[in-house]
Amino acid sequence: MCKLSPEQWHALSPRLDEALEMTDQERSTWLLRLRVEDPTLASQLELLLEEHRVLSEEGFLNVRAAEVPGAASLAGQTFGVYTLLSEIGHGGMGTVWLAERNDGRFERRVAVKVLNIALMGRGGEERFKREGRILGRLTHPHIAELIDAGVSQAGQPFLVLEYVEGDHINHSCDQGGLDIRARIQLFLDVLQAVAQAHANLIVHRDLKPSNILVRSDGQVKLLDFGIAKLLENDGQGAESPLTLEGGRAMTPEYASPEQMKGEAITTATDVYALGVLLYVLLTGQHPAGSGSHTAASLMKAILDTEPTRPSDVVAAQTNGEGATTAADRRATTPDKLSRMLRGDLDTVVLKALKKEPKERYRSVTALDDDLRRYLRDEPISARPDTLAYRGTKFVRRHSVAVALAAVAFVGTAAGVVGTLVQASKARAQRDFALRQLARAESINDLDNFLLADAAPSGKPFTVNDLLQRAEHIIERQGHTNSISRAELLTSIGGKYVDQDEDTKARQVLEQAYEVSHGLSDPSARALAACALGAAFARKEFPRAEDLFQEGLRELPNEPQFTLDRASCLMSGSWIARERDSAREAIARSEAARDLLAASPLRSEYTDLRLQLSLAESYRAAGRYRDANSAYEHVSALMSSLGRDDTQTAVLLFNNWAFALQLSGRPLEAERYYRRAIEVSRADNSDEGVSPMLLTNYARTLRELGHHEEAARYADRAYAKAQLSGNQVVINQSLFVGARIYREQGNLDRAEAMLSELEPRLRKVYPPGNLAFATLETERGLVALARGDAPSALQHTNQATEITEAGIKAGLGGEDYLARVLMPRSDIERQVGRADDAARDASRAVAILQKTAEPGAFSSYLGHAYYTLGLALQAQGKMEAARAAFRSAAEHLQASLGAEHPDVRSAVQQAGPNAQRQ
Amino acid sequence: MGPTISALIGAAENGDSVAADTLFSTLYSELHQLAKRELARRGGAASLSVTTLLHEAYIDIAKRDGPTFPDRARFMGYAARVMRGLIIDHARSRNAIKRGGEFEITSLKTDVGEKSVDPKELSMISDALDQLVKVDPELAELVDLKFFCGFSFAEIAALRNLSERTVQRSWEKARIFLHRNIRADLPL
Repeated sequence: MCKLSPEQWHALSPRLDEALEMTDQERSTWLLRLRVEDPTLASQLELLLEEHRVLSEEGFLNVRAAEVPGAASLAGQTFGVYTLLSEIGHGGMGTVWLAERNDGRFERRVAVKVLNIALMGRGGEERFKREGRILGRLTHPHIAELIDAGVSQAGQPFLVLEYVEGDHINHSCDQGGLDIRARIQLFLDVLQAVAQAHANLIVHRDLKPSNILVRSDGQVKLLDFGIAKLLENDGQGAESPLTLEGGRAMTPEYASPEQMKGEAITTATDVYALGVLLYVLLTGQHPAGSGSHTAASLMKAILDTEPTRPSDVVAAQTNGEGATTAADRRATTPDKLSRMLRGDLDTVVLKALKKEPKERYRSVTALDDDLRRYLRDEPISARPDTLAYRGTKFVRRHSVAVALAAVAFVGTAAGVVGTLVQASKARAQRDFALRQLARAESINDLDNFLLADAAPSGKPFTVNDLLQRAEHIIERQGHTNSISRAELLTSIGGKYVDQDEDTKARQVLEQAYEVSHGLSDPSARALAACALGAAFARKEFPRAEDLFQEGLRELPNEPQFTLDRASCLMSGSWIARERDSAREAIARSEAARDLLAASPLRSEYTDLRLQLSLAESYRAAGRYRDANSAYEHVSALMSSLGRDDTQTAVLLFNNWAFALQLSGRPLEAERYYRRAIEVSRADNSDEGVSPMLLTNYARTLRELGHHEEAARYADRAYAKAQLSGNQVVINQSLFVGARIYREQGNLDRAEAMLSELEPRLRKVYPPGNLAFATLETERGLVALARGDAPSALQHTNQATEITEAGIKAGLGGEDYLARVLMPRSDIERQVGRADDAARDASRAVAILQKTAEPGAFSSYLGHAYYTLGLALQAQGKMEAARAAFRSAAEHLQASLGAEHPDVRSAVQQAGPNAQRQ
Repeated sequence: MGPTISALIGAAENGDSVAADTLFSTLYSELHQLAKRELARRGGAASLSVTTLLHEAYIDIAKRDGPTFPDRARFMGYAARVMRGLIIDHARSRNAIKRGGEFEITSLKTDVGEKSVDPKELSMISDALDQLVKVDPELAELVDLKFFCGFSFAEIAALRNLSERTVQRSWEKARIFLHRNIRADLPL
């Protein structure tokens, strides 16, 4: 039985989708990997793909059922006074027909352009008329003329154009064996025509050999101003959707860097395409080099690689066969050809091909002038590249990743729409489930686009720029599938949340929420509600929680909604964390984990999100051991997904470092923070670095004793936090700043920061929040530094009360208590209450011993032992004190490094004293 | 007067098999009538493209049925399926006896040489398509639109609001499926 069963097909179909998008090389590695996972599926796929290759060669089903090749369906129909003879071309907008007059008045054959039926009523007619208007204004002997325009009896619009029988300009030159001068002469005709169009404020935008024909009488004719953009405002506005659609219709080989990047298109765009054409005419090669190109490599070449000088290209071929023919076709030898091109022609071509539009010839006429000067042996105006210029190339490198990313995104968006439309009708559960998975994957792709591709370069495009761009793209697709629109908006909003851009996140997510409400799709509605909830987590707790609950309620309790439910639970976990309900956060993350464990729909991507959510929740609850192991899991997944340099990785390293810091491992924390900063930083500025990350880094530097650097980072963090308007980050940066300035002895500044902090905290947190315990502790330490011990004690007592109550209410782990007990112990000791001091210190040690990873060294534990040692000393228990100092020295040395001053004093207290005994 | 095409489509989509049959035969005779009428209007020698025919059918029926009429994409889906039947019947009948008076779906000019698909192969493709309908109806519809009705990828992409690339990829998949079901002797 060799027919495909439905089951087989459903298993194979999504794989075929994947495979058919790959190059041969990608496909073979992919199959190799698949063979390990699922050998049966892999060998079936291999057979089908081989069959596909044969089918494509044979042209299976290429002949239409009811059609005779060469005599397609419109033949014989009349449009106005023209009768269609045969089809001569077709494109996205319509078909082009060879036609002749049927009233016998005029012998001339014409080309009739007929609009695709499917485009009628979708703006196609408008575009058609527009093209007609543009062409009507252009009369030039080298531009194919618009003869007539009209609407057929059946209501179909058509254009009648001059019919040009000719050959592509590059073929024509090669066929005729034209020498360099003759080629330039012909090229000058093209320039004249384009200059005329530019004078009419029309940019061609798609100049390439297939649009530039040479007739048998040697006349050049430019065709297809179909995607021309009017520079002036013609009532449509220069930014109408039509021009945007036109923008995408470029031909990669002749596209300029600005077209690749989606930037403004001007007459310089045509200058660039003409530069490519001249390069091809002179050397027989494309500036990106010979051989085949993938879209990505071509794009990279266009954006990044300075083309080889034409003279070098032909010189390099001297040994090869190709050069002989290229030179032959130019009626010369490779050597002579190279010499002919070297110098002025190199300079002219490379100037037209500058990446920066401003650096190219200012106009087609300027290019024309230089070529005419060359032909007259006069000095040309363009200057060869200087060294200084070559240096600036470096700066441009960064633009590639972004442009590639933009293309990747357009692909992704299309992919999402496709998946959803295909599955939008009610279908079998299996299809539904597959769709869910596909959706998770496509959102994964969106991440890859936004983060993987964008983050390494960081600047000059920040991730936020990209998000804005993605938003804009979706905006532009306004009329397309609203499910995918809601989902993409949701995903983009989620990214803003990750970026701490809460305000933007809420804007986008409100939009997603609104769109989703017009939909019957429970997934889209639930995800939009939960994501919006997450964005409100820091601003309005009740609203956040309501939205989360609403999202959960949207989802029917059926297995196909498992992924959505898990996703919502993860948002819920985030909301709980932001509200400091660590216990609830863990409960929600673990519920998500259990759902996914039982679901066949999980993917690496969902695992990644889940582990991150678990790690965060454990961290919030002070379960650092669990948190660290989850983070390690995340890090491994991230590597396997190739995301080590992404914004998600920044998030991971930051949070992991934070957990490490809280478990008393600042040396490791410092490494991961630095890694996070390096990934998100570009051009050695902190522009792309999140203020929260800067704050955390400052805190760790402080702990490691790098006070000045810590202060610098704290200041930058504060400034950036202010700019971002994120309250949580502003507060954190104030905390860290206050601590650093206090330790540096700048008590006024520290106190000023705490005063700024208090009302802010009051505004957002209920009185029992642990933040107030930290605030009281800091106040106490400032008071102690000022010599006001009673007040210091009062503050730390209060801190202890708040913390004890908070822990009871599930707001945080016990380790928080250890952290307020230590400073209290110090103060108690200094006011002569040695017993209290010793009690607090040993309590802190006990707590930290309990929460620390077994066998791991912790700076907190080290400090707790040190505090205990001092308290025991005060009690006169010298032996016990030395034991405590020895433990302190051990922990501190391992966690802070031997050079740290605290380590030195611990060693001192433990060692020499012991000897003196 | 029988139920409108809109009503039939609605009922068929709700699983009413009688309505589905009625829809099929009604559309069949509508398209047949329309083709004859159009050819008469254009003069006997002229030919008529399948896409144009479907387009005009759409306009005709939409006008008659009023605002409840489904969108173009849905209509084309059904009509393309019917068109397939029409083409196959036509090919079979032409194969059996060269009858006069029937309409030609396209011009088959002798000077170009008749290279259209063999009626037997057409039947096989159609049978395989019936299998595909059960497994992946949207792929099947795509084959109706592309192979039988001559819509271009661009047109289908526009109809379905998909990217041209996606349509093309689906087409490649459909070809694999059909070929596999026609040549069942291939190993897997």
